[in-house]
Amino acid sequence: MKIIYSFLSILLLILLLLPNFVSDYILGIFVLIFFYAYMGQSWNVLTGYAGPISLGHSLYLGIGAYISTKLAMSFGVTPWIGMWVGGLGAALVGLAIGFLGFRFGLKGVYFVLLTIAFGEIGRLTVLHLKPLGHMMGLFVDFKPGFVNFHFRGNLPYYYIALGFVVFSLIVVRALEVSKWGRYFVALREDEDAAESLGVNVFKYKMIAIGISSFMTALGGTFYANYIFYLHPTSVMSMWVSIEIIMRPIIGGLGTPFGPLIGSFLLTPLSEIARSYFTKAGLEGIHIVIYGLLLIAAVLFFPGGIFAFIKKIVKPILGESKEI
Amino acid sequence: MDLNLILQLTTSGFLLGGVYSLIALGLSLIFGVMKVINFAHGAMLVWGMYIAFTLMNWTGIDPFFSFAVSAACLFVLGYIVQRTVVNRIMTFHESMQVIAMVGVMMVLENMAQLIWGPDPHSPHTKYSLSTVWLGSVMIDIPRLLAFILAILIAAAVFVFLKYTDIGKSIRASADNRIGALIVGANVNKVYAVCFGVGAACVGAAGSLLVPLMPVSPHTGFPFKLTSFAIVILGGMGSLPGAMIGGLMIGVAESLGTVFIPSSLKQVISFGIMVLILLLRPKGLFGGKG
Amino acid sequence: MKKKMNRRTFLKYSAAVGATTAIAGVPTLLRAQAPEIKIASIQPVTGVLSDIGISMRRGNQMAVDDINAKGGIKSMGGAKLRLLLGDSEAKEDVARSEAERVIKDGATCLVGPFLSGNAMTIATLCEQRGVPFVMDVAAADDITRKGFKYTFRVFATTSKFADSMLFYMDKIMKEKNISKIRGVVTNTGDLFGRVQGATFIKALKDKKFPIEVLGHIEYPLGIQDLSAEISKIKALKPDVLFPVARPGDAKLMIRELYKQRVELQGIISPGSPGWYEPEFIRDMKALADFVMDNVPWYNPVGKMYKEVNSAFSKKFPGKYIDTNSGYAYLGVLVIADALERAKSTKPDDIVAALKKTYFKQDLMVGLAVSFDERGDNVNADTAMIQIIGQSIKVVLPEKAAEAKYIHPMPKQIWDRGV
Repeated sequence: MKIIYSFLSILLLILLLLPNFVSDYILGIFVLIFFYAYMGQSWNVLTGYAGPISLGHSLYLGIGAYISTKLAMSFGVTPWIGMWVGGLGAALVGLAIGFLGFRFGLKGVYFVLLTIAFGEIGRLTVLHLKPLGHMMGLFVDFKPGFVNFHFRGNLPYYYIALGFVVFSLIVVRALEVSKWGRYFVALREDEDAAESLGVNVFKYKMIAIGISSFMTALGGTFYANYIFYLHPTSVMSMWVSIEIIMRPIIGGLGTPFGPLIGSFLLTPLSEIARSYFTKAGLEGIHIVIYGLLLIAAVLFFPGGIFAFIKKIVKPILGESKEI
Repeated sequence: MDLNLILQLTTSGFLLGGVYSLIALGLSLIFGVMKVINFAHGAMLVWGMYIAFTLMNWTGIDPFFSFAVSAACLFVLGYIVQRTVVNRIMTFHESMQVIAMVGVMMVLENMAQLIWGPDPHSPHTKYSLSTVWLGSVMIDIPRLLAFILAILIAAAVFVFLKYTDIGKSIRASADNRIGALIVGANVNKVYAVCFGVGAACVGAAGSLLVPLMPVSPHTGFPFKLTSFAIVILGGMGSLPGAMIGGLMIGVAESLGTVFIPSSLKQVISFGIMVLILLLRPKGLFGGKG
Repeated sequence: MKKKMNRRTFLKYSAAVGATTAIAGVPTLLRAQAPEIKIASIQPVTGVLSDIGISMRRGNQMAVDDINAKGGIKSMGGAKLRLLLGDSEAKEDVARSEAERVIKDGATCLVGPFLSGNAMTIATLCEQRGVPFVMDVAAADDITRKGFKYTFRVFATTSKFADSMLFYMDKIMKEKNISKIRGVVTNTGDLFGRVQGATFIKALKDKKFPIEVLGHIEYPLGIQDLSAEISKIKALKPDVLFPVARPGDAKLMIRELYKQRVELQGIISPGSPGWYEPEFIRDMKALADFVMDNVPWYNPVGKMYKEVNSAFSKKFPGKYIDTNSGYAYLGVLVIADALERAKSTKPDDIVAALKKTYFKQDLMVGLAVSFDERGDNVNADTAMIQIIGQSIKVVLPEKAAEAKYIHPMPKQIWDRGV
């Protein structure tokens, strides 16, 4: 564990200093890497640790983004406060969905489909809410200033997004070593066994989905103030949920590092595919290539890349060292 | 309330529901046997449409005849996808499977755009504008033909599953994977054929849709979500359930536009999906759950 | 291979110089004095509306090629333009990072996306980076109401669409002695559809215009079956249908109107794609006739239009210049004109030049391109076009008309012997 901590500290130091050496564009890519790592981490709390697979996390992203933006636009509440309100709103919705899903004992693919259905219902609902811009979406005014969460350069966004990642790592690590985290893993591995040992399965699943949806919604506020335009079809579609879950899955589920590794790999890959293969007359080829890479990643790293790295690193560090 | 409108909406919805059924049948078959959700189902539908469309352009064969070619091509495509991807991920974590199938979807969808271009096509076929009037209710001939053919194709799939050896093995593995292993069926082949048949269903359905709706690379997505709802309603892996579920969702979405804005009509499918998941997850017709 | 090498060395280079530029947030305008001037086109060329996106990209590219063929930017020693391509995938976050990429690659000016949502994100980014941005086609009013200094719009705004629609409808109704029209408005459930549909309805109400809206039907983008919607329209018995569509659903709608025998005096779009693309007429044949659309259209008598259109149809068989490709072309011309006058690639010089733009053109209907303080083209205008004998004719305004409009439709859709 010590090795991991020192490695992470070095990495953090590098990342803190990095903006001195790269362009705004590279910073922008890092912002996306951090953003998706954070979103993936939030999803990881539910799916990676506690087990239920959600494919409707775009709903929480959307709720967080819409609440904080609406508060800022109509009532002048700074997004720094609004984001917590958004988080609470999303957590309430998440708990409601979780209550239904877990009370009725939906597992595996059935829970996946439940979250897809709720995600789509949420998207269609927001699409018809006049105060939230209806089908026109919300156009966010660009008012640079810390209070407004709007910045000119990518540098502040970079540090904020990095802060998000560090925050999520701390939360997940704290969970891992806590009683809650151990219960999460227990019920992920074998729900019936956990139950027979007296773990309140329902309660801990609810805690997991509550934390997960809350964290996801905080990221939504970041998205809104980075992209400046919200439309239900852009922020709440199933496609966004897929984007959120891709990175932790490829990186490795149920570890704090999976979402990080996955995002450091996939985000630049999609960027590179797009910038190399954007050619007139071959529109779409970059997505074909990216799709093939995704398939390859699943086939070659079935347990996620983190598991693969662990396998390689372990003999070097010696078996006794636990990662 | 306009009775005529209700009758018209029910008729159109019911007939289109037949095609929905065929699409969902493929999805349900694949899920029932391999427990994998085919996220590329919509993209496969689009390939079925394009193959029929291309044949029609080259040879003038009507899509209502060329569905067999679409089905055959999609069978091969499905077979290949199963052997190269699906077969290797069947034991993986469900979320891993989602990502792989989404990868397949991205490849197929954008390959279609590369091959056939982005513009929507609505080819004129012999029947594409024919109608029959029953009083003041219009019956759309291409829709009726698509409905009849979809039901016939589904019946053929049932016969195949019931009376051929490989079909029997497919059913056996749907019931019990290990059981089929013991009986000695070549499981890999059974799975590949099953995925092929599922893809062929959706390919044939795509062909039947060519006279009805514009063919373009990105039309598959809404169908995919609708067929999720149908499969849940009918019961995962239940083939009769997929058929009846398709008809029900078809009518419900069409009739729903009387009560709610058309832009909200998908809420009906998803609402039904939620209710069924919570109250009867094995579906209306799923025996085993 | 060569391109990859360039990029790699470039990355190293930008890493080295980035230290000074990144913090200040100054765009990395590299090699500003090179004989080549880079501009960038960002369009959604994949995803649901890729057909329009690709058509726009072609318009952007052809304009660049034509300018280069005519000697480039003459005031800057005949500097050639180079078009960097970006794909927004119709997603806002991708639009942002593509814009960031082309700015890093040295784009002095961005031209782009017809999707207003994507355009909003890019406009904000260009404001942050201080890079001029010319929207070729993106109609939502809100974008230019945000006080952006670097964003300009060549296209007509939604309010402009509604104003001229009412103007033309007024003319038609007076000339044909129609005192009142009972209509149904339909639109797709995306940003553009909603904005166009709702703005039209609001304009009718505000001006107490004698068009009664019996129903407003919105359906999801990418819909595959309009039978239920058309049944509802039929039950409302409107005189005229006012549809805001996208390419796929326009065809679906016409066929369904035919099958369900919906009697109409006219199909008049308040302004949307779907009705004027070559594919619409090719697939619908005589069914397409008499559809009217209120769009920023090419100027049929314009010299520039004739040249550009013949080159465009030669390069892309079966296609012609329409609203999208035409404005994509015009957008690049406006940038080139600004560069010509600015004699510099500095963003502020280009913006200053853009502000003073008075670009005479006869490619599209409307007078010379000229921007107001918001950055909207004050002279962007729409024409009423109508499909007559399976070809598109400008019917209003009269000074540009190629034919007299036909209203009401002399034959219902199903009476045309198809």
